Amino acid sequence: MVDKEEVIRIVDKHQNGLGHLISILEGIQIRYGYLPEEALRIVAEKTKTSVVEIFGVATFYRFFRLKPIGKYLVSVCLGTACHIRSSPQIIEEFERQLNIKAGETTADMEFSLEPVNCLGSCALGPMVVVNGHYFSNVTPSRVKQIIKKTREGLDKVDVDQDERIFPVEVSCPHCNHSLMDSKQLIDKHPSIKLTASFGEKHGWIRLSSLYGSPHMESEFEITSDSVVNFFCPHCNAPFIKAGNCPECDAPMVPMIVYGGGIVQICSRRGCRQHMLDLSSVNL
Amino acid sequence: MKKLKSIQEFKALQGKLIALQNSGIPTVVIPAGTCGQASGANDLIRIAKREMLKKNLLKKINLRITGCQGFCEMEPSVLVEPKGTFYPKVNAKDMARIIHAAAEGKVVEDLLSLDKETGRRVEKQDEIPFFKKQMRLIISRNEKVDPIRIFTYIENDGYSALAKALEKGDSAWVLNEVKSSGLRGRGGAGFPTGLKWEFLSKQPSDKGKYLACNADEGDPGAYMDRSVLEGNPHSIIEGMIIGAYATGAKDGVVYARNEYPLAVKHLIIALQQAREMGFLGENILGTSFSFDIMIVKGAGAFVCGEETALIKSIEGKTGEPRQRPPFPVQKGINNRPTAINNVETWVNIPYIINKGAAAFAKIGTNKNTGTKIFSLVGKAKNTGLVEVPMGASFRDIVYQIGGGSASKSKVKAVQTGGPSGGCIPEKMFDLTVDYDSLAKAGSIMGSGGMIVMDENTCMVDVAKYYMNFLKDESCGKCFTCRKGTQRMHEILDEVSKGKATPEKIDLLEELALAVKDTTMCGLGQTAPNPVLSTLKYFRDEYLEHINNKRCPAGVCKELITYSINDKCTGCGLCRQSCPKEAITGAKKKQHKLDTSKCIKCGVCRTICKFEAVEVK
Repeated sequence: MVDKEEVIRIVDKHQNGLGHLISILEGIQIRYGYLPEEALRIVAEKTKTSVVEIFGVATFYRFFRLKPIGKYLVSVCLGTACHIRSSPQIIEEFERQLNIKAGETTADMEFSLEPVNCLGSCALGPMVVVNGHYFSNVTPSRVKQIIKKTREGLDKVDVDQDERIFPVEVSCPHCNHSLMDSKQLIDKHPSIKLTASFGEKHGWIRLSSLYGSPHMESEFEITSDSVVNFFCPHCNAPFIKAGNCPECDAPMVPMIVYGGGIVQICSRRGCRQHMLDLSSVNL
Repeated sequence: MKKLKSIQEFKALQGKLIALQNSGIPTVVIPAGTCGQASGANDLIRIAKREMLKKNLLKKINLRITGCQGFCEMEPSVLVEPKGTFYPKVNAKDMARIIHAAAEGKVVEDLLSLDKETGRRVEKQDEIPFFKKQMRLIISRNEKVDPIRIFTYIENDGYSALAKALEKGDSAWVLNEVKSSGLRGRGGAGFPTGLKWEFLSKQPSDKGKYLACNADEGDPGAYMDRSVLEGNPHSIIEGMIIGAYATGAKDGVVYARNEYPLAVKHLIIALQQAREMGFLGENILGTSFSFDIMIVKGAGAFVCGEETALIKSIEGKTGEPRQRPPFPVQKGINNRPTAINNVETWVNIPYIINKGAAAFAKIGTNKNTGTKIFSLVGKAKNTGLVEVPMGASFRDIVYQIGGGSASKSKVKAVQTGGPSGGCIPEKMFDLTVDYDSLAKAGSIMGSGGMIVMDENTCMVDVAKYYMNFLKDESCGKCFTCRKGTQRMHEILDEVSKGKATPEKIDLLEELALAVKDTTMCGLGQTAPNPVLSTLKYFRDEYLEHINNKRCPAGVCKELITYSINDKCTGCGLCRQSCPKEAITGAKKKQHKLDTSKCIKCGVCRTICKFEAVEVK
């Protein structure tokens, strides 16, 4: 369902910029996964542009789609370097395995298959990207595995087993007091305790201290997509922002890492952007 | 980050950063551009950080995450400075060893690059043939800079060129330096950059002028710009600020490709930091000069590489080219004077201002100065980004740097210039790579794609591939381009299926010339190049398809058959994976392939470990 208010918000956000129509359509596509006709009519009304012109732009550029896509978007690179390394066989194998044609979506809305002109990873072709996860040097016989892996979950992390996950100890950037709570464990490690406020609510929040683990608990349920203000539970000072999240533009929140360095997490619920900076230069 | 209020403040900061940099402790460099991340660089970074915290090594080594360093095939790789120790294709389980060795100033012998000819391990990056033969003026800066940390750019001479230009306080001097450097536009056409800037500087500035960076690298098979956008975005920004100073432009636009999410992300961060530090915005470094840059994202249209189409797209309209004149320097974005340069052109500007036009002009040849980055991809042994002085020969690039063919099959041709370019056959590899000699040979320099093809690449298929691409990407404004590319594709399709008659080749040639002569923009005018160049140099392959219904390279599906030879060990892998049950045979006995059931999907051929599946 298209929320009229939301579409208007997207229009207003980009209204005055250069290339505003393309930015508006991009904003709508990011929100809905495609360009619903209803939304385009709202854009036409708001920007005083004819629906024809908007459809013209929407169909001219390859990026825009007029149909909803599945949960997983499989992009198969058909750039020249990939082509001469047999990428047509790759896309055909996906077509066979998923039982759809390129450009289509499976009936269960799980997979969409899309050819792309070039992903710019030409030395590693043939390339396939599934929801932002890159697969290089793909062969027809690997297609089945990629589909299987996707169904199992590409973002899934096994906190106990994964060697890329490790504990960090952090302290408040203001009072330097440790933020670790060894009584309340998350992922079998001491949790990071902070005070969080969003909207009218104010309460504790505990994050996993394992770098790379998304696990957390909070006193109040924090709705997805809302931006949270963090405070130190010891000195009560609000955490200053260290910059804006490059993914979603919400403030990034810094904490001092024991041993040196700074860890930053995005303050938006659901955004998994985080950075661990171990450089000692501090001017 | 504190805003810098004067050139002196900038210099003091730069001096301080350089002093800190020379602390003498080893730096572990992990390239994590798109290629690196696709190959697992993020895992290496995580493990490096884990080890540094666990073993308390923060005072013993530095960690630097950078963009692509060029040897993409060897990703994920690790470089340890200052010695330049290079570890290719690092497995996550070996990363901890590299970190511990680096902290102690040691080298992990068994993980170094192996020279297959001598059987020896090569330690240093500069000694590896792929790097040794290059002249890496631009690309080498990628490994010094962490793209999301502006300080690492500043400590490597970053923004020095801007400071130098502002200190001189003479925009005519800057313009003259760029002019006398001989720099030509790296987007493909090779128009002298200084001249373009001079045109813009002479335009009336009452309504404001625009500078644009074309970062919509639409040429399939080329990714030089991506690597610079991801790896060194500040060098583009600095180039544009200097350009604005020279031409009097007040607004800058980077038109960036949507398919490059990491590049866009790094650019957003870099612009934010440059603004915070006072390199962009009002009164740059405390002077009276002001300029700012915004990003406009492209939405995937090849034709938007053409400058008038790009302008329309920046304005948010359908990207259809228009007639020139008026040229963009007269009437560009929002009808204001606009100069558009390619990413690689902008990156050369700080170098020219820092080192001087004369030093730059010494590199390359007389009319083609400086270096050029190529994306050497396809069937070469070493694939990646290659930077050489203008005027290097194809032979040097393909054999000395690229290491020749990756397989037993010989190199047949190199394709340059993407869909607007052509194929250069092996026998002409002594040709020098510059704007003029490539045009003479029926191709173009283009933005720098260089796709190596071997005997398993079918030239009819290549021409058909490009024509398919062009028929989809033609904006449709000119009838001859819209229909011409469709008809050419149809004929090529017939040839590839063995259904064409010899007369069709004459028709194809006639059509190609008609499209070339009667279309308005660069896309249409160059669209026939893939056809004309393959017809010129590889006509016998066309004839083989037509007369003998045979595809010599074994590519065109309708003309090939799969079979299993006596190398088959009967392991059964192909039998189990065949989607059509076309393969039969007992365990440990040579298998058989039923051609009537075979759909030529290629699964058996790629899964076989014994090269027992043949294509004829």
